[in-house]
Amino acid sequence: MTHLDHLYRFASHLTKDQEQAHDLVQETFVRAIAAHEQFIPGTNLKAWLARILFNFFVDHYQKNKRWAPLEDASNEGNDDWNRAAAENPGPESQLLGKELGTQIKDGLAALPEEFRTPLLLVDMGDFSYEEAAAIMSCPVGTIRSRLSRGRKLLARRLKAYVKGPAAK
Amino acid sequence: MTCGEAQELITAVVDGELLEAERALLETHLHACADCRTALAAEQALKQAIHGTGALLRAPDALRVRILSDPRIFPAQRRSARRWRDYLWPMPPALRPALAVALLLALALPAYYFIDYRREPVAVAALESYDFFVQEKLPVSRPASADEIAALLTRAVGGRFRPMGYDFSAMDLRPVAGLVREIQGRKILVAIYQGPHGAILCYTFLGSEDDAPPNAAKFFDSEKKLNFYAFSRGGVNAVFHREGDVICILASQMPMEELLTLTRSKARAS
Repeated sequence: MTHLDHLYRFASHLTKDQEQAHDLVQETFVRAIAAHEQFIPGTNLKAWLARILFNFFVDHYQKNKRWAPLEDASNEGNDDWNRAAAENPGPESQLLGKELGTQIKDGLAALPEEFRTPLLLVDMGDFSYEEAAAIMSCPVGTIRSRLSRGRKLLARRLKAYVKGPAAK
Repeated sequence: MTCGEAQELITAVVDGELLEAERALLETHLHACADCRTALAAEQALKQAIHGTGALLRAPDALRVRILSDPRIFPAQRRSARRWRDYLWPMPPALRPALAVALLLALALPAYYFIDYRREPVAVAALESYDFFVQEKLPVSRPASADEIAALLTRAVGGRFRPMGYDFSAMDLRPVAGLVREIQGRKILVAIYQGPHGAILCYTFLGSEDDAPPNAAKFFDSEKKLNFYAFSRGGVNAVFHREGDVICILASQMPMEELLTLTRSKARAS
């Protein structure tokens, strides 16, 4: 049951549905057991499991699904979330901690999957760019650019929220 | 370098992935650009916030149980049967029929007894009393207090071990009765807790983890450093764990996930 929490977290944010997340994690373990001879001892088990999970997700949940439309990214200026986070890194985030968690969860859920997955792998899963690239089967440079873009999109979604409570 | 070009490098520095060749370029830009310094701090804060949000989410017990009870992941191990077979067949295949006949003649009755015994491990056999309890067929004594139940049960086994004495009052369940059963020569203490919404039977006996049913779903609680075994019999769910040389089984008709969570919360860490 190694890495179960991590896999569940990844699956939950990928599928955005608890039952599907349970199925996805369970099937990941089934596939891992069936393919255990392909795992090379000494390499990263967590990354191997995450790759199985992601491939299963793409095969079974993403087929026939089109990417969600990308938000307008024309505004390149600093936004209120940026300022609030930079100016109030401590007490503010603690005070709003729970609320912020919900906002981030909702914000991640609204991101197109291609931007959400690198954030889940690198920010939540603590994977390196190279590991994330191997899991997603894409170049390392793609991970970096999607992370950059994904965080910007997420920050923009949080802007309205920061405006509210932080302004008081 | 423009702010747009600096953006990806800021992301890389936040993730500790900036290439050495890019470092000087970014540092020069940050030195001159207050907006990008603010953007860097903001992106670091956002990364931490995402990490913190993720850390709050842990796999629920229901998922652990589901994985542990999936035979594709953890094939049901008939531990005793496997040892028995390994013991039986160490020789070349040609000799196996002869050995089989010899065993059949010499050991037919004891072997039958052995198999029958293993088919119903003591932990599973104990659950029979749950059915009797539901049917109100149990010869239980109904003392006035939890202490009296504990004292009565402890006396019944000559003080060799005690019932767990769990407190389920938070679930509106009170100890109402106790009884002693003897199964396969072993004394089993049963404390019965009852409330308006259901009941829990708590079994206690001297034993080891070999007493867990072979088909039980097993998992390890890393915090308490205990193995828990979940199994069911005729609609009654049960969770088995060991504290020293005492086995405890909680049995109830409540959903398995809830019973497992309850047992884990009550079990004393080893």
